[in-house]
Formats: sequence, C-alpha cells, structure tokens
Amino acid sequence: MNKTENNSETIVEFRHITKRFPGIVANDDINLAVKKGEIFALLGENGAGKSVLMSILFGMYEAEEGEIYIRGKKEQIDSPIKAAALNIGMVHQHFKLVENFTIAENIIMGAEPMKKAAGLFPVVDIDYANEKIAALSKEYGLEVDPTARIDEVPVAVQQRAEILKMLYRDAEILIFDEPTAVLAPKEIEYLLDIIRRLRDGGKTIFLVTHKLKEIKAIADRCGIMRRGKLISVHSVADTDLQELANLMVGHKIELTLDKKPPAFGENILTVEHLTVTDRNKLPVVNDISLSIRAGEIYAIAGVSGNGQLEIADAVAGMITPTAGRITLQGQDITGCTVRRRTEAGIAYIPEDRQRVAVVMDMTLRDNMVLKSYYRPPFADGLFRDTAAADTYTAAALEKYDVRSGQDGDSIMRTLSGGNQQKAVIGRETDLDAALMIFVQPTRGVDIGAIMNIRRLMLDLRDKGKAILLISMELEEIMACADTIGVIYGGEIKKTAPREEWTIEKIGEYMMGLGERSKANE
Amino acid sequence: MMHIITDSLAFILPLLIMAIGGIFSEKSGVTNLALEGLQGFGAFAGAVAAALCTAHLAPGSAAPFYIALLAAVIGGAVFSLLHALLCIRFRADQVVSGVVINLFSLALTTCLAKSFNRIFSHTAQNRISLDIAPQLPGGFYTFELIIIALAGLCWFILYRTRFGLRLRACGDNPNAVDAAGLSVERIRYTAVIISGGLSGLAGICFAYSVTGCFSSAVYMGYGYLSIAALIFGNWTILPTLKACLLFGLAKYLGYELVKHLNMPSSYSDLVMILPYAVTLILLIFYSGSTRAPRALGEAFDKGKR
Repeated sequence: MNKTENNSETIVEFRHITKRFPGIVANDDINLAVKKGEIFALLGENGAGKSVLMSILFGMYEAEEGEIYIRGKKEQIDSPIKAAALNIGMVHQHFKLVENFTIAENIIMGAEPMKKAAGLFPVVDIDYANEKIAALSKEYGLEVDPTARIDEVPVAVQQRAEILKMLYRDAEILIFDEPTAVLAPKEIEYLLDIIRRLRDGGKTIFLVTHKLKEIKAIADRCGIMRRGKLISVHSVADTDLQELANLMVGHKIELTLDKKPPAFGENILTVEHLTVTDRNKLPVVNDISLSIRAGEIYAIAGVSGNGQLEIADAVAGMITPTAGRITLQGQDITGCTVRRRTEAGIAYIPEDRQRVAVVMDMTLRDNMVLKSYYRPPFADGLFRDTAAADTYTAAALEKYDVRSGQDGDSIMRTLSGGNQQKAVIGRETDLDAALMIFVQPTRGVDIGAIMNIRRLMLDLRDKGKAILLISMELEEIMACADTIGVIYGGEIKKTAPREEWTIEKIGEYMMGLGERSKANE
Repeated sequence: MMHIITDSLAFILPLLIMAIGGIFSEKSGVTNLALEGLQGFGAFAGAVAAALCTAHLAPGSAAPFYIALLAAVIGGAVFSLLHALLCIRFRADQVVSGVVINLFSLALTTCLAKSFNRIFSHTAQNRISLDIAPQLPGGFYTFELIIIALAGLCWFILYRTRFGLRLRACGDNPNAVDAAGLSVERIRYTAVIISGGLSGLAGICFAYSVTGCFSSAVYMGYGYLSIAALIFGNWTILPTLKACLLFGLAKYLGYELVKHLNMPSSYSDLVMILPYAVTLILLIFYSGSTRAPRALGEAFDKGKR
C-alpha cells in the first residue's frame, strides 16, 4: 500500500510474480507498475512469457509467487470472473466467440440484459442489447452490425466484437494479446487508431506484441521480456527500433539481409494452365502458368484470398485442380498423391501450420518425422525406429533453435506458435526437396526468427533449391524474391524480375489496377 | 381416420419430447446416445410408481397415471446423472458412455422389475402392467397435451432465455462461455439432466400407449430413432418435429395399409421396419446438409489453446 499511495496514478502493479511450467520458468520475479491511461507494450520473442503474465493478470493462471495490486489494493485474481469484476478485460490471440451466434449475443453472454415477457417470464432483451452495442460501437468508432453472425463476418470484425465485449463490461484495463497477427495492413492501422482512442478515453492498455513498428506507432512505454524475465522498461519515444530489437533478442541482430546475385539452374517446377474451382464451381485459380528454376525464389504477391493459397495447395497435392498440368523436374505429378510428391521432391510449409502441418496432440518427436517415419532410418520394415527419431529430433531442435519444455517429448500444443513454425520449417528443410513452398513463413513469429527464416530461404536458394514463396508481406517479397508474380482474382496479372518492381507498382497490380499482361512472359 | 391421427400422435409426441431432450444435451456439447436407456429407466420408474399407487387408490382414478409421469421424469433425470458424471466429471468417451448406459439400463430394469414383482405381487414375471392412459373426448391422450405444452416451453427456454443462450454457446465454443465467467460444467450437467427427465417422460408414455406395460419391450430403439430425428432436424426443434411426424406417419400409415388390404399379420411385422427404413433413406439425402454443434462430444479442457 505504502508505495502505491504516493503515486495515485499507478493502476496495475506486479510484485515478484513467478510462474513455472514443467521444464520452464515462464515468469521469473516480474516487477512492474503501469499507470492509468497509458499504452504499455510488452515486447519479447515467442515464448518469452508475455502472454503468461497477461493471463495471470486476467485470472487464467495463478502465479506461484508474488502479488498483484490493482488501484493500490492487493488482489487475488483467481478467475476471469474476478478480473472482470476489477474491470479488467482481455482480447485473446485466439478469439473466444460462438460462431453461430450474432455479435450481440456473443457480447452480452454472461451479462445479458433481461426483460419480462408477458410481464412474467424473464427473457433476454436482445433488442436492447442490439441498441446498446450499436451505441457503443459508434462511441468508439468500432464499426459492427450487432445482428450479424460471427461466422459471416471477417476476422477484423470478429476482433471488434471482442473489443466491444470488454467495453460492454465497462473494462478499464484492456489487454490485447497479439492483436495484429491476424490483420491485414489497413486493418492494423484501423485497430491502432481504435486503441489510441481508447487510451485517450482514459483506458489503460496492455499491448502484447513482437511487432516493433506498432509499438513505435502507439505505445507510451514498453517492457522487454526475455526468457521469462522483464529485462527493462523504456519510454518508447526515447528509444529507437534497432535498440529495441537488440534488447529483445539479447544480442545485436542484423535487420538487413545479404542477398547474393542469383545463379539460376534448370527448370524445377512448371505449372501450365492451372485452374482450381471452389465448391460452387467458380474458378479461384484461373488458367495460371508459371515456372521456377533451381536457385530461384519465385514470389506470389497479392491480397489474401485471391487464389495464391490454392496454387500452393494444388502444387503440394492438397487439392485437385480442375484443369492444368504440374511438372516437377520433368516428371508429370498432376495426379500424384501428397506422399508421391514429397518423395519426388516437394517440401511444403503451409499457412495454417496448426491444422495442416502438425498434429497438435502428438509429441514434437513424432511431428518431426511426420513425413519420413515410414522409411529408413526411421523405420525398419514394419517397425518404427524411435531411437533414430530421437537422435534426429534432438539434432534438429538444436539446429533450428526450437525451444520447448521437454524437448522431443513435448506435446506440440504446448509449444509457442513461433517454435511450432520453426519446427515445421526445420522438418521440411531436412527433406532436402528440390522445390520448397513457403506460405506466409514469418507470420506470427518474432523479429529475430523472421530474419532467420528469410536468411534460411536465401541460403536454400543459393544451394540451388527452387522456392515458391507466397506472402502477404510486400516487404518480405521485395527482400527475398528473384521473380515476382502479382495475383489478382485468381489470375497472375504480371510476372517480372524483382528489379523491375517497386512496392507501389506491386500494390497497383494487387488492387487489380495495373495494365493487363499475360502471365509468365 | 381420426384414430390414425391420435394413435400416431401417441407415438410422435413422446418421440419429439425425447428428441428435444437430446437437443438440450447435444446443444450443450454432450453427445447423448443414452436416450434409449434413459427412456427405459423412466418407463420403469413410472410403472413402479403407478403400480404402488394403484394398490392404494380407488380403481379408475387417473392419479396413478400422473404420479407415474412425475416418477418417470425424476427417474430419467436421476439416471442421466450417470451419463453426466461420466462425460463431464470423468471425461469419459461420450459415445461409449451412452451405449453402455443403454445396455446397463435394460439389464438393470429387467432385473429390478422381477424383484419388484416377487415382493409386491408374488409372481416371477418381469413385466409391470399399466392401466389405460387417461383420454380426452376425441381420443386424444392427456399426455399428448402435456408434451405439446412442454415442447413449447422447451423452445422458449432454448431460444429466449439466458440459460438457453448460454447452453447453446457451450456446444459451439465452451471457451467463450468460460471466458464470460460462467461454468461450462454446470450448464452441461443441467442440460443432460433435462434430457434425462424428458426421455423418462417419453419412456412412460411409450409404455402406456405402445406396449401397455413396462417390460423389456419398451427398449424398441425409439431412443435411437429420436436421435436420428434430432440430427435430421439439424439440432433445432421445429425441423425435428417434422422428422418425428415423418417417422410416425411411416409407421401408422403402414399399419393402416396392412389392415385395409386384409393382409396377414406377418405383414404388420414388415411395417414395423418402416420408420427405420425411412431413417436409412433420409440419411442419404440429409447427410452433409446437417451441421452438428462444433464442440459436440468434446470434454471441456480449460488449458487447451
């Protein structure tokens, strides 16, 4: 009490917070005081313990040691209910929404406005809820239609529903856990504006992120976490990006890439007149042709949802094209199964790694040999050789810097998103395939890992691999690609060497503007 | 013509109320294949209550019937606690739990019915006879009205009340319910118990209208049929009613046909398969267009990311 009374502005204070998980100290003696009405960013690599600290504040985990003071009073936050009573709200990284409910129904659940039907039966007053939410959404500039169903609105709107959920409950301390990971650049700007507006309205905001630019754009102060420890707290205005990046990873990191001049070899992948249709028989990929040479990074740029994911899926064998031919090193693989393609030389890092690339409830070891468990050295005739898998996994985890609680025995689900991604990239790289498909490889991973993944891609290219890169990050495409094709409405509008493009020019083609030109000139 | 309607309603409405019970359970996220066993146990509890009362009341009184209904609801609800405990508290596989409860219920009630008769009527039979259910002018059973009223109430609870909103949320995303500071477990317990009570009610109605007694013959698979009905009805009440109507008409129009054409009684056995055959045919058309609650069959795990 004594210290906080002196500073009436302090609204949240952590004292000596420690939380352990099997094999890991997630939070190690954290001390931090946050002032009312500031945007406080927590910056750190994947698995640094940011989310855990916020989960403790929100009552989802209980700290083993330490105390939390809210508005100067010591509080035992043992459940989200308690947190809500203290006016603490949280937007989780994975939204907690009921998909077949309307936005309003989701927002009011647990705090429903009631009325009496026929003067007798208590019923949920959905009309009042719709009105109140419409008013709230206007007040904070969060555009939503309260009567729209969650599964019918885009992710950005779902997130607004989550924010409104907190505001509806009069939350004053708002926690955002990686809020921009799921958003497109325009939506990010919109969200940052909202967060700023909330701060100006007197709310206190915790922002968990590993995107330095966003912190620079809106945060007032920033705490840097590394391996469970709070390393330091900085005023954002007085610290530059490079400094923050270095502090976050604990050593100096190189933010620039060293790209060697290309040395193209023969054609590895040839796609001719590929067409993919969706469930309603409408073309999502329309008569696309492209080819990738050994030692070349071919990047497809475009706004999400224009058919780029379907191209990757069709080449990898996840979906069957309606028409077209796919040739890998002279061999027609159009009708081959995924395993045949893998053996023919395709490695695939898909966008949705949790659903497609790994089995979340299996061990890291089994996931690491998911594509090769059936053949030597991991299998001997009918039986698996788990010792070989063990040896391989231990080496691979070391090589690709995958951090987990119990090494190969860790269940995939317990790894942080970035470490899952590193594991998948490691496994696919070790397939030593002639063609590697990277889809959104750096999405949701921290700055250190981003640079490592990009460097790895360039390294593989220099070793003569053909690489198909699909990314929504133009900066990534400009930094890595040798050849860039821009996709719009299922068609590649223009393909040209990297030197002939500028970000602005790509942007025009992405919006369907630039002049129409034949793919694969 | 009238009696086709009254007879088939005496089959359709219990089927519907049991299916509604199933909807409550499954909309909350708990797979409930135990409906068959629950209705059987309800029928047993009701029959025992009726037999005990009849001995002490004036002949012809309708009181034993209503006491039987109440006992059946309570019996089904209590028995469903077994399923609730196994699935929610002990996170057992919900399909296995449901199937085993069905087998357990059949064996248990047959055995208990025998003991009951040995003590109270000093016979060794395993059936407990029932009187005729009270009827209204026009041939409608009073239980049909009760069920219609209950079905309306259930719809109201599911779609208009706070509890209904939370229950439906549990079946789609229990994490959202948890984050809203509500107890997923408590909602699911309530939902399963409601399904038990409604199934018990359906069971005693079948016992009165279809078999005329409690015996192992009340385990005719109607519980499974009601599950089929609620799935064809896409876990919503009105379309489920349509499916139940279809099953009921298939059954009774078949009977009428056999009677009308003076076919030998062996053909009525053939008619018995009609509702099940209709189910199989419906499966072909409805598969793919139904959408189960997203979290159906999964024990709620707070820690899962």
